[in-house]
This record gives sequence, C-alpha cells and structure tokens, in this order.
Amino acid sequence: MTDAPFTPREEDEALAAEYVLGVLNLAQRAEAEARLKRDPAFAALVAEWEDRLSGLNEGFAETPAPNLLPQIEARLFPKPVRRRRGGVLGWLGGATVAAVLALASIATFAPPRPELVATLATADNRLAYAVTHFGETLQVTRVAGVPAVAGQVHELWIIAPDAAPVSLGLLEDRPLLVTYPTPPAGYTFAVTVEPEGGAPNGVATGPVILTATVGGA
Amino acid sequence: MDDPVAALIAKCAAQDRAAFRALYRDTSAKLMGVLLRMLKERAEAEDALQEVYTRVWLRAGRYDPAKGRGMTWLIAVARNLAIDRLRARPEARSDDGLDRVQDNAPRAETRLVAQGEARRMADCFATLDPDRAEAVRGAYLNGLSYADLAARHAVPLNTMRTWLRRSLLKLKECLEA
Repeated sequence: MTDAPFTPREEDEALAAEYVLGVLNLAQRAEAEARLKRDPAFAALVAEWEDRLSGLNEGFAETPAPNLLPQIEARLFPKPVRRRRGGVLGWLGGATVAAVLALASIATFAPPRPELVATLATADNRLAYAVTHFGETLQVTRVAGVPAVAGQVHELWIIAPDAAPVSLGLLEDRPLLVTYPTPPAGYTFAVTVEPEGGAPNGVATGPVILTATVGGA
Repeated sequence: MDDPVAALIAKCAAQDRAAFRALYRDTSAKLMGVLLRMLKERAEAEDALQEVYTRVWLRAGRYDPAKGRGMTWLIAVARNLAIDRLRARPEARSDDGLDRVQDNAPRAETRLVAQGEARRMADCFATLDPDRAEAVRGAYLNGLSYADLAARHAVPLNTMRTWLRRSLLKLKECLEA
C-alpha cells in the first residue's frame, strides 16, 4: 500500500467496496446505484465485494422473527379483485348503455368523498404520506415529516403487480394531485429519493424509502 | 456446492410459493438479526423484513449462484434495504444510536469462527491498523456512514474516507493472496 493516487481501476474497486459497506451518503449511494444499473463491469465488482466481505456475516446473530408470511404473501399475491359492473355493461345494447350512464351520472352528482387508499409511512411515523382518491383524482399529502433535503426530491410511483414502476409525480411542499382511476387492490405505491427535478428518463434511481400496497396489511 | 438456500431461491424464481415459505422458515431469523442490528428498532426491523422478502420473491430470478452463496445474497438484499433506510433518516438519527451500538454490539472478531473463510477474513483484518479494521466492521455490521465513522474516530470525513478506501484495497489484496 502506498500513498500514490488511485488508478481508475482502484477508484472503481474502492467505490464498489464503499457501496457494499454502505458508508456513502444518500446522494453518493444513489449515484452508485444508477451506475450499477448501466455498468455491468461495476456491477460485477459489487458482486465480488459482497462475496468478499461475506465472512463478516458471522457477526450477525440470529434473532427469531415473528411469522410475517401472511402479510408478505398478501402483498405479493393479492386476491383477485371482484369484477366491477363493466361485465354487465358489455351485454347491454348501446342505447341502453347511454341511458344507464346518464342515470349513473345523476346518481353520482353529489360531490365525491375523498377515500383513503393507502398510507405511506416509516415505522416510527416520522415521515408519512396519505394517499386519498376522489372522483378521478388521486391526492397525496404529506402528513408527517419534511420534504427531501435541498437538491433532492421525493418521487411517487405506482407499481401494478409484476409491472415496472410508473411515476405519478414529485412530492414537494404542496399536496400532489394526479388524474388517476381508483387504484385496484394489489397495486403498490412507493416513494423514492431522486435528484432535483425527478428521476431522469422516468426510471427510479434512488432508494425506496416508503411503500404501501392498496388493500394490503 | 451444497447450498440449500440457493436451491430455494431458484425455486422462488420459478414462482414456487411452497419454496418461498420454506425460505422464510429457514432464513428469517438470520435476516431479522441483520435488520435488528442495523436498524436498532424492532418495529422498523419487522417492517423491513416484510420488504426484504417481498424483494427476494420479486428479484429471485436475478440471483446467480455462480457469484456467491444463497445466504450471502439474501443478507446483501437485507443490508441494502437497511442502509437505504438509515441514510434516508434525518442526520441526528444515526448518532443517537452510536452509544448503544458501542455497548451492546458483540465485537465481530469474537464471533468470527476460527476456520475456513472466516479465519482467512480474521487474519486479513489483523493486517489492518486496528482502528481502521474496527471502522470497516462497524460500517458493515452496524450500518455506520462516513459521517458516523468520522465523528466516532474524531477525524475529518475526508481523512476517514481515505483511510477506509486504502484499508479496503489492502483487505482485497490480502484476501486474494
């Protein structure tokens, strides 16, 4: 070992080790994670470090865990959603559909009431967002905690079962309003920390800090 | 190599729910140990454990047995989640856990069994300056950040980073020798 500056190869090795060790701050970590996704050579270095440091895993003592399988399975394998009235409309004639729709719109003329769809919160409730839905609008309001630090932003995602996350927008000082149908049970909301302006190219790059599944435990 | 955990992960990738349950039964105590040690709070560790197994099911197809043992991969998933949560906490949070870490955490070297890979690991750690070896272990096992380590060892953050980077490369050299 010398005090000479690191070669580019050593820089990459050191960064991979720092990432695995977990010592980087949030922004550096997000940067390393983004690189991990686009640079297979760097990903290979990270995998090597995970293996190299695995001898330290002996230091983690086993602690019996409660049986959380029911909650986990409810998240992963949601029960099929009950079919809506769409099936009934399918066999009605066009004119009848129009009449039914006209009636329906009269029946729902009263302003819709916001309904709590999900709560995204840390276990200690230091940071929490409430997701409510009314009419065709999803509203996400921060009910505890503070926005991301300067230069970063919380971004909201919705994830259909087995699908890639889709961004719904950035969570800043004001509540986020998005036009969105009623989110079906089994869909997951997630909040990530992204660079200012949101995830580049619509692909999440930062750590997931909160998740909640519609109709989940 | 005989690796029952790796076999269960491979079955999860093939959507085998019975294998997923067996995996939880056989590995949740270890992962709970990881999360509790790093996150310190039981409620948060249990919440994180649910998220870890959710990720394990969804990402099982990405596990490559050629790159490491099944348990190593599971622990990496758990540690990554714990570190993300620790780094997302407000600054003050990671400091107030420091004393408890110091008091309660069993020192890693006392737990390293004196054989095989772990023995090799212990030997290589012994070649490092004791302070720096302790910093590497503290980061790995307790999720300490550079800022935490710098405060703990009372050195500037950049100094800590230089020390640790050199130590990690030295460790690699030793482990591969």
